Amino acid sequence: MATRTKDIRADTEELVTEAKAPSRQPLTVPTDKPVAYPLDLPEGEARLRTPAVGQRASRPDGRLHGLGQTQYIDDITFPHMLHAKILRSEYPHARILSIDTSEAEKMPGVLATLTGDEIPENSFGPTFQDQPVLAYPIVRHRGDGVVAVAAVTEQQATDALEKIKVEYEPLPHVFDPMEALEDDSPKVHGETNIYTSKTIKKGDVEKALKESDHVFHRQFRTQMVEHVPLEPHASIASWDGNGRVTLWTSLGRITLGREDLARTLAMPQSKIRLIGTVVGGNFGGKNEITNEPILALLSKKAGRPVKSVFTRGDEFISSTIRHPFTMDYTTGVDNSGKILARKIRLVLDGGAYCSWTGTTIGKGSILAPGPYNIDNILVEAYAVYTNKTTTGAMRGFGAPQVCFAYESQMDDIADALGIDPLEIRLRNGFSENSLSPTSQTLQSVALKESLTQAAERFGWKEWQE
Amino acid sequence: MLVEINVNGEPRSADVPPETTLLKMLREDMGLTGAKLGCDVGDCGTCTVIVDGVSVNSCLMMAARANGSKVTTIEGLANANELHPLQEKFEEHGALQCGFCGPGMLISAKSLLDKNPEPTVFEVRDALAGNLCRCTGYTKIIEAVMDAGREMRSGQSGA
Amino acid sequence: MKKRGRGMACMWYPIGFTVAANPSAATVKVNTDGSATLLTGTVETGQGALTVLGQIAAETLGLATDDVHVVSGDTDVTPMDTGAIASRTTYVTGNAIVRAAEKAREILFEAAAPLLKVKPDQLEARDKRIQVLGFPSSSIPIGQAVQHSESVLGNPAIGSASYNPPTVEMDPETGQGKPFNTYVYATQIADVEVDDETGEVEILKIVAVHDCGTPINPMLVEGQIQGGISMGVGFALQEEILFEEGRQINPNLTNYIMPTSLDMPELEVGLVDNYDPTGPFGAKGAGEPTAVPTAAAIMNAIHDAVGVRITALPATAERVLGAIIEKQEAERVASH
Repeated sequence: MATRTKDIRADTEELVTEAKAPSRQPLTVPTDKPVAYPLDLPEGEARLRTPAVGQRASRPDGRLHGLGQTQYIDDITFPHMLHAKILRSEYPHARILSIDTSEAEKMPGVLATLTGDEIPENSFGPTFQDQPVLAYPIVRHRGDGVVAVAAVTEQQATDALEKIKVEYEPLPHVFDPMEALEDDSPKVHGETNIYTSKTIKKGDVEKALKESDHVFHRQFRTQMVEHVPLEPHASIASWDGNGRVTLWTSLGRITLGREDLARTLAMPQSKIRLIGTVVGGNFGGKNEITNEPILALLSKKAGRPVKSVFTRGDEFISSTIRHPFTMDYTTGVDNSGKILARKIRLVLDGGAYCSWTGTTIGKGSILAPGPYNIDNILVEAYAVYTNKTTTGAMRGFGAPQVCFAYESQMDDIADALGIDPLEIRLRNGFSENSLSPTSQTLQSVALKESLTQAAERFGWKEWQE
Repeated sequence: MLVEINVNGEPRSADVPPETTLLKMLREDMGLTGAKLGCDVGDCGTCTVIVDGVSVNSCLMMAARANGSKVTTIEGLANANELHPLQEKFEEHGALQCGFCGPGMLISAKSLLDKNPEPTVFEVRDALAGNLCRCTGYTKIIEAVMDAGREMRSGQSGA
Repeated sequence: MKKRGRGMACMWYPIGFTVAANPSAATVKVNTDGSATLLTGTVETGQGALTVLGQIAAETLGLATDDVHVVSGDTDVTPMDTGAIASRTTYVTGNAIVRAAEKAREILFEAAAPLLKVKPDQLEARDKRIQVLGFPSSSIPIGQAVQHSESVLGNPAIGSASYNPPTVEMDPETGQGKPFNTYVYATQIADVEVDDETGEVEILKIVAVHDCGTPINPMLVEGQIQGGISMGVGFALQEEILFEEGRQINPNLTNYIMPTSLDMPELEVGLVDNYDPTGPFGAKGAGEPTAVPTAAAIMNAIHDAVGVRITALPATAERVLGAIIEKQEAERVASH
């Protein structure tokens, strides 16, 4: 015994002495081998300077992106993790008569299925909760999810979807927003398709139009577009033994997401944890829950973590898109090109569910007259349900649509009156303390500066065709 | 089905079902999650890797087809001591925002600079045309690639 | 024949939610070595929010950007945040962070004042030191102040605060009210070439000048403007979900056309020199406004080039050519 201890001590002393010896060479990692750990590199200089505001500081996540080390949700796996897929509606508007998952449940690898009637509170929405997590009993657009399946592999989950039998009774549908406005149109929800409206009224627009030297009228329309974040929506749900659920999610707002989950799952918020990892692009499309309650319930049923990643097809048909606007602009000006009155009617194609329409119609209406001093304004805006993809938040909330209209008309006016487009904007544009269409005193106004500086950089005055 | 490839200088292998794509094998069986799944049909370029010197959409290539090949992924660009000049310049210029297109974009850029060390702006745009980006508008990415090309050439001229 | 045209569009855009409360909360902790940690409930969606928010915290504490570690996106750990939406993060979350950091800083001033033999309100945090206003040679490193506060006085340097933009409800019948606390402005000008035989539009250059208040990180604002313009270009000329009988017929990236590197023109980006006193260090925001005027500028440029007014987006080659032919027909009829 004593001998052994002595040997170990002697060996240790020898090693320690060796380590301190100046001739010991440090181990170098060959430079042709891939690295799996952060490199010991200096920080970008701008990150080290004070004051911090105004520095062109590099992003720490930028370095990780470039190394391929960023962990997006689809890069995360857990032991025994399952994959979920969603079966979507075959009809734009229908009543579900029956759902038979028995064949699907027998498929290899399938451990759980879920339908809308199993969700404790099957509704959500940022303004009003008209959207189901899984549609039941009515589907309102082809992207509505109806049944969810969790299986050991993605392929097994996809295969199982084909075995699910859903019986539908098709209902009358409406696609055209102008048709949806009519009283006799098929209804998507309730008694009317007009689910929100907005009015902005200032001065006396009819009188001012009559007194105008010229009146211009045009209708403008915009199309359905999608955010196309390069990273599709993704989430993972996992429970612990204390009945607490954690969701890793690409959601852009996790505090309110947790509230949505508490509501849909009928659970206290303190038992729910949302982790928002790095998101691969949002642009407004990832600002609401999508699959999270579904995954939480599948995970609970199966007793294993469950991941779901939207396919690119899902991104288009099931996540939200931008509201198409139909915009009627009637503008009265005097001979000098000063706008005296502007009357606007906006019809928003609101898709199958409300989502962020309340915000879009509000912003769209307020911004619709443009950044111009106009004393007489009337904006009437309506959002209608249609049996098409849900329209929601998308970069600008109606601003790109109305800007297309008001700036196109500005050039029409300039052209008709022979006024330079820059000049007519400077003549009408907001300055410090101008009143907005809602009679708010505007401060920190930099419109004319942006006009003159852009014109100068472009060489507007020197332009030769 | 056993597939053997050389990834970033290391021999790796995996036993995968025959319908497995190279992308899936890299991500799920080899732990190399740098290449991304953005569309799975070769439209977006987030899965771009280099196979035997050619940049390819790994979501369109079957793993079996890559058997015996030399594959370079984003994880193979930096080494223990330094970033690849492309990675350095992308960081300096703030060329990546959400970063999801980053690995594919960097691989396509490397593939370009390996063959054409002094590209024009148009040639850079053309080489990156198969890599979609929604965040950046491509401007800083192109600036970073041009800058990396300059750096790589000046490094070589001393050799 | 190729015809050249130029078109401008200007815009205004609000920061924050329409009237509705949209608060953000933040917590700032200063460490005994003078580095700091920021807890924010927002989520990084790619725009660089966490970098900018770190810069705001650093500025308030007199630190460099790299001294602040930003922790985000975990409901167990980070405080409430309405979310990365409506271009509100720099302004609303930024203001919450300034207030939180000021509270932590106040604790440091209380601790440092007797050490520097002055009153707390005579101090400022600058260049990683707590120093006396007007007499900077009398100073101590921030870490020392934290250490003294924490280990001697028993007051850890931590501050939590929230911010919500003040608004006034809009009248339900007239919409009159104060729905937002601040707005940003911008102008974009497009230089295009239209082929009047095919309707194809090529954008040669776009000049964009944006107001974002103080640019906390000019490199990131430029990135937002360039990215926003690319969405605007897609909206103007290419993108459209095609619908038939309630079914999307192009739900894929093969047939949903969006800008690639070959579609983007040369961009020149400038920032207006502006300062909004209601924003953190004068900053307002940049995320969405960047995508707003692009389509209008391009449509005006098309009008300048070939004299047709496109009234429905996107202005695909078919639509532009159709409008050109219609105009030529109308001119032919009129001249007879």
